[in-house]
Amino acid sequence: MSARAVRPKLSFLGVAGRHNRVPSPYPWLMPVILVMGLFYLYPVVDVFRYAFTDLTLLGGEGHYTLSTFANVLTRPELLQIVWVTFVFTAGSVVGQQLIGLAMALVVVRAEKRHLFGTTILRTTALIAWVVPGIAGGIIWKMLFNEAPFGGLNSLLRLMGMAPVQWLSDPDVVMWSVVLSNVWRGTAFSMVVMYAALKAIDPSLYEAAEVDGASARQKLFFVTLPQLRPAILVNMILITIQTLNTFDAIISLTGGGPGRATEVLSLYTFNVVFRNYDLAAGSVLSILMLVISLGLALVYASFLPKDEKA
Amino acid sequence: MKLSTRDRLGDFLSYVFMAVMFVFFSWPLIWLLSMALRTRKEVFLGVARLIPKYPTLDNFSAVLTSSQFPVYLFNALKLSCLSAVGCLIIAAPAAYAFSRFDFKGKGAWMLGILAFQMISPLVIMVPLYRYMSRLGLIDSHFGTTMVYIALGVPMVTWLLKGYMDGIPKSLDEAALIDGCNRLSVFIRIILPLSTPGVASAFIITVIAGWSQFLVPFLLITKDSLVPIGVGIFQYAGTQNASTIQVLAAACLISVVPAIIAFLALQRLILSAMTAGAVKG
Repeated sequence: MSARAVRPKLSFLGVAGRHNRVPSPYPWLMPVILVMGLFYLYPVVDVFRYAFTDLTLLGGEGHYTLSTFANVLTRPELLQIVWVTFVFTAGSVVGQQLIGLAMALVVVRAEKRHLFGTTILRTTALIAWVVPGIAGGIIWKMLFNEAPFGGLNSLLRLMGMAPVQWLSDPDVVMWSVVLSNVWRGTAFSMVVMYAALKAIDPSLYEAAEVDGASARQKLFFVTLPQLRPAILVNMILITIQTLNTFDAIISLTGGGPGRATEVLSLYTFNVVFRNYDLAAGSVLSILMLVISLGLALVYASFLPKDEKA
Repeated sequence: MKLSTRDRLGDFLSYVFMAVMFVFFSWPLIWLLSMALRTRKEVFLGVARLIPKYPTLDNFSAVLTSSQFPVYLFNALKLSCLSAVGCLIIAAPAAYAFSRFDFKGKGAWMLGILAFQMISPLVIMVPLYRYMSRLGLIDSHFGTTMVYIALGVPMVTWLLKGYMDGIPKSLDEAALIDGCNRLSVFIRIILPLSTPGVASAFIITVIAGWSQFLVPFLLITKDSLVPIGVGIFQYAGTQNASTIQVLAAACLISVVPAIIAFLALQRLILSAMTAGAVKG
């Protein structure tokens, strides 16, 4: 600890005399501090302030009040919104993590065996990932087109199956939205899992081999425990990303039918920018922040202790 | 011998899995391309005309010669390039300080910057929309660019810091001995050596800016100023089943630049994206 702290200072003493002061970092950080302060910190503080007012986007100064909080949190639709958000997030995160991990495992194996097609698969998945959210929504809307010529229904018909009401059946639509989100997001998890797999010390596998471990045992007792930190970090990242997803849903379903796919971010958007209710939107924004932070902390508590340091 | 049959079975299963995944990831894009190449009649034939009998480029020319789409594309390019340049100018000095200086609370500063990324852009847009309309920055590319920059700065700072960490400190020290000050070390030595890192940060920010929807959707109302993300959303809202092929062409045109930029720098971008997650 102390040796570590001293070393940089010594290296400075070794340098020419007039440069032996440690330079202040703040002039260098100033642009970032200014931008982040103006565009993140100040607005977030203001969100907390607005939440205690009755401000609207229609003008006026508003008054300080606690009733917005009470009003928003007791809205009858809020429970439904939170449930929809939960299903969407859980479905997307689990799907992306599982498929991403499976793809990474298969790709690593296939590369070892010099199988054909790993690069094509990886690149295709990554192309889906680069597609902007709005375009992704539009593309999937074409696929989910419920007319007989729709991109999925005409496939189903070709295979002799009944068409599915992908976007108009309130019981199906959520899974359609999750499917489209898994399509767009999985590549990220795949890449993270792939990099983590590559970073596992090969001697662990050699040792398992010597002990006569089967492939399944190697997966459960070597690979998965070694991947644990990477899986948790990845889950934090994709959970937050999914909670904030907004453009892919607004262009695919717009939140409908009814409120079947209206997630919290879309609801917040509608409250502020369609109903002009700035104060209520601020309360919802705080709710979003609290949920993100809470989930991140829950995941982080599963990280091995030495990883936190 | 037994091992090899087993390996062969494993190979077979790997191929099956990879094929299924390939179909899943490529089908939407293949469908988009197929639709974009069809005539209006063939749209109604569904999957039977996956490869159109009478392929046409009319849909693309209809999009590209329309009055709005070239403007949307230009606006998106302008906003994303300007914001990428802005991001680099703002983040590079901070990245240098994080990479080279030892100061109190450095770890906390870096984590703090990263933590901002957890905040949904929607949350900050709620008050920002109000400030911007008071400042008269609605319908201004300047205001929109500034918000893009703020959204991109955390990641660019981390990316550049990671890249600069790979440049030996002895170069700085040698230059300091030769009488350079910190600023000229940064400008004359570190920045030129960071070119690959700067390039990948630039491309990533451009792709992110190209994909932006929420910020310009709220801050830009004039049709002649909106970027492609907003333009195509509004266009999609006015379309019906009989013009789906034109929408597909428009969608493809809006997606392809991002894909090309990504593919060109795939390796750099991937190593940058995963570094943070794997290191924890």
